[in-house]
Amino acid sequence: MRVGMKIWRYSAETGDRALKEYEIEAPEEATLLDCLDIVKDREDGTLAYRKSCRMMICGSCGMRMDGAAVLACKVRMYDVAQAGHVPVISAMGNLPIVKDLVVDMEPFWNKFKAMKPWLQPGYEEPPEGKEYVIPQERMNVIHKEALCINCGCCVSECNAMESSPEFRGPQALAKGMRFVGDPRDGSKVERLEDYSDEHGIWECTRCYFCNERCPKGVDPRDAIAKLGAEAVKEGIDRDMGAKHAKWFIKSAETTGWLRETELVPKTQGIISSIKEMKFAMGLAVKGKVPPPFPPHVAENVDEARELHKLVHEQGKLGYEGIVQGEHALAKLDHGLEGEGPPATELELEAKPTEGTS
Amino acid sequence: MDAKHDVLVVGAGCAGMRAAIAAHDAGADVAMISKLHPTRSHSGAAEGGINAALGNTGEDNPEIHAFDTVKGSDYLGDQDSIEIFTREAPNDIYQLEHWGAIFTRNAEGKLAQRPFGAAGSPRTVFAADITGHVLIQVLYEQVVKRDIKVYEEYFAWRLVENDGRCQGVISWDLLNGGLKVVGGKTVILATGGAGRLYRATTNAYACTGDGMAMALRLGLPLKDMEFMQFHPTTMYPSGILITEGCRGEGGVLRNANGERFMVRYAPTAKDLASRDVVSRSEQTEIDEGRGINGSVLLDLTHLGAEKILDRLPGSRELAMVYAGVDPIFEPIPVRPGAHYHMGGVETDSDGLTELTGLYAAGEVACVSVHGANRLGGNSLMETITFGRRAGTAAAEWALSNTTIEVPDAVERDAERDLKELLGRTSGERPWKIRDELGASMLENFGVFREEGKMAHQIEIIDGLRDRYPGVYVEDKGNVFNSDLTQAIELGYMLDLAATMLQAGIARKESRGAHSRPHDYPTRDDERFLKHSISRWVNGGPELSYKEVRMTRWEPEERKY
Repeated sequence: MRVGMKIWRYSAETGDRALKEYEIEAPEEATLLDCLDIVKDREDGTLAYRKSCRMMICGSCGMRMDGAAVLACKVRMYDVAQAGHVPVISAMGNLPIVKDLVVDMEPFWNKFKAMKPWLQPGYEEPPEGKEYVIPQERMNVIHKEALCINCGCCVSECNAMESSPEFRGPQALAKGMRFVGDPRDGSKVERLEDYSDEHGIWECTRCYFCNERCPKGVDPRDAIAKLGAEAVKEGIDRDMGAKHAKWFIKSAETTGWLRETELVPKTQGIISSIKEMKFAMGLAVKGKVPPPFPPHVAENVDEARELHKLVHEQGKLGYEGIVQGEHALAKLDHGLEGEGPPATELELEAKPTEGTS
Repeated sequence: MDAKHDVLVVGAGCAGMRAAIAAHDAGADVAMISKLHPTRSHSGAAEGGINAALGNTGEDNPEIHAFDTVKGSDYLGDQDSIEIFTREAPNDIYQLEHWGAIFTRNAEGKLAQRPFGAAGSPRTVFAADITGHVLIQVLYEQVVKRDIKVYEEYFAWRLVENDGRCQGVISWDLLNGGLKVVGGKTVILATGGAGRLYRATTNAYACTGDGMAMALRLGLPLKDMEFMQFHPTTMYPSGILITEGCRGEGGVLRNANGERFMVRYAPTAKDLASRDVVSRSEQTEIDEGRGINGSVLLDLTHLGAEKILDRLPGSRELAMVYAGVDPIFEPIPVRPGAHYHMGGVETDSDGLTELTGLYAAGEVACVSVHGANRLGGNSLMETITFGRRAGTAAAEWALSNTTIEVPDAVERDAERDLKELLGRTSGERPWKIRDELGASMLENFGVFREEGKMAHQIEIIDGLRDRYPGVYVEDKGNVFNSDLTQAIELGYMLDLAATMLQAGIARKESRGAHSRPHDYPTRDDERFLKHSISRWVNGGPELSYKEVRMTRWEPEERKY
């Protein structure tokens, strides 16, 4: 098949930048990476990009196609070529470009390393000459985080990093959750304290681009949500983001609605909210803020309170509640509803593990 | 010299990182050189698992593991090394688990173990079907914890030999350009395999046999180079690996008629016979007209969605993306593809090569644990156990010796050769030679081998080697010049191909992965129960032989 591509070329040595168009003949099963190989072999040997495994596991070939981060080895080109579309290929975002499609990954790895990404045993010493005994369903909690191949697609797309380059970012925080959720790790509270810093958990803007563009289904935004929930559960709430989240819960529990007028003082503190008074009054006059008194109570507030109570009773505060929801959704995704017990019970039941043939 | 360290590890996959950690923990100043970032290494693509006789699922012990490995090797494995290997494997697994490896658990919460080919007991510890990925992550975490220096995206080009010792490595710095000389009191090769010699391979683009070729050019012996393992389940047409774990979990192979053909070839082990046996059976089915598009079918449809999603989610994704089939509902088209090089740089059981100060571990090395055929799950274990042993031994030697010296002449030679290569203004682009090599190796030195085809392949390789000095590197820049490194890799592969063919045509028997059904269909212990040894002499390979180290097991007929 004929495949056309426009590739953003860049030379750090000269600073030259140019969009170049290539048209090649490729086999029907060709991926974007295969097509780049053909360009490099036959058209232009100076084209630079990273590659290795070509099977979605090494994480080398992160780049952008039509402005969205992809693994080049995962994109089959057949439909694109058939549609006569000529995609634009460029380097990932949020990282300095070295040459063509190659970015400097050093800032990425520095953020990874700042998470102290290694197991820190603590609560219990590892048994000598034996493994830790842990139920599989307990390990399932970090199943998605463990899939991360450090390709950088999430970082490329992160809106928070674009405005605040110091933000730890989706991949580093997902790595953090991998340890926070690991029952063998003894530093959960220290980690949550650390990750709750200025550029940590609460700096995420929740745009969900990382979830959208992760080629491995890690869902980094969900990992960040789990860290946030766990931090609040552990009482680590000095960040405004945590206070904000806590007030949402409190407000929903008590009246079934979000009480915006109280949100600002609860999040920012009294002094800061006094400074906002003039602005708030203006909003109130225009009818943009409901009056604080009498409190507006939702019609079915009992349901909200029951839900809140249930979560407490089941001990599903922190990341556990989110994980339970994820697993239920995953089962639905695979069309498994109605087969066997509901997802919540599957969670608690040890899975059969004996190999069979 | 740009930098120096006590121990310098070349390659940062499982073997390289495990060696670096061991050397660091033994008190040495360690650094790694790698042409890829460590987590990009091809160890991460290993899927099915890692073998150690933990006995968590069935009765097992290191002796049974050793016997399975000896038998699997078609009696070409060195039995003393195999005994060390199976004895030390369980503790190495526990160490990985204590570091945080996310292995799959059984109903008791211990490490689950799945059945694998030619294993007497379910022995393969695993993490769903991404075991290599999990190991690469945990090892890199430990490397970061220890703050071990990594020269990332340094392309190793030459080993420095001085005063009868290996004392460093000359590399091309991919990101910034320029040659960098890093000295080491000891050097450990952990550069992996050379599957890219073949067009149909499971191996990454990076697997071009760099370490083997560098050692060969230094005059060191390579051992058993004719033994390239063909994995029975690589996808059509991409060659991407589908794990043996699929059959371990109950998947079966079928031909075009829907027949479960392995019952005929291996009545007892069936689909879980040794890899060489299954690959030959598949190839026979295909050659005799019972294949589909040169493939057979791997059928998982009877396993059910839940088991596939729990145990084999990565394989399902690979099949969906690269073959367009969902294995929950449809079988996957598979065929044999080049997968693992049993041969490599000859070492003792501490990873030491013939040259003082130079060690090797993992696929680049030939200890030999795998002999003529490797068992699934044994290679990840080899990288860990022998990576650790090599790291410890290299650190001990380095700490009791002091000097590092890289003669100026060595640096100047490298500079001159590089200038010559980059200075060519015209010539043949390397990809043509690379593609011809890959296609012809598959055609003439694949699952089945015969005299005429091998002789023909030797001529082809000679021709390609004649053309190689004229290859043209189009990129003359310093920054990320992968055009240059790919041209150098091609040179490595051509030399290795020459050693493989010479050893292959001379081995007039069928043993393990070396199968000659037309002229020498049986094993000949009298003449060939010995290792092939290849050296580079006067610009070409030279073959000799060496005894196999036997301890407890006399050769028997191999049946599954």
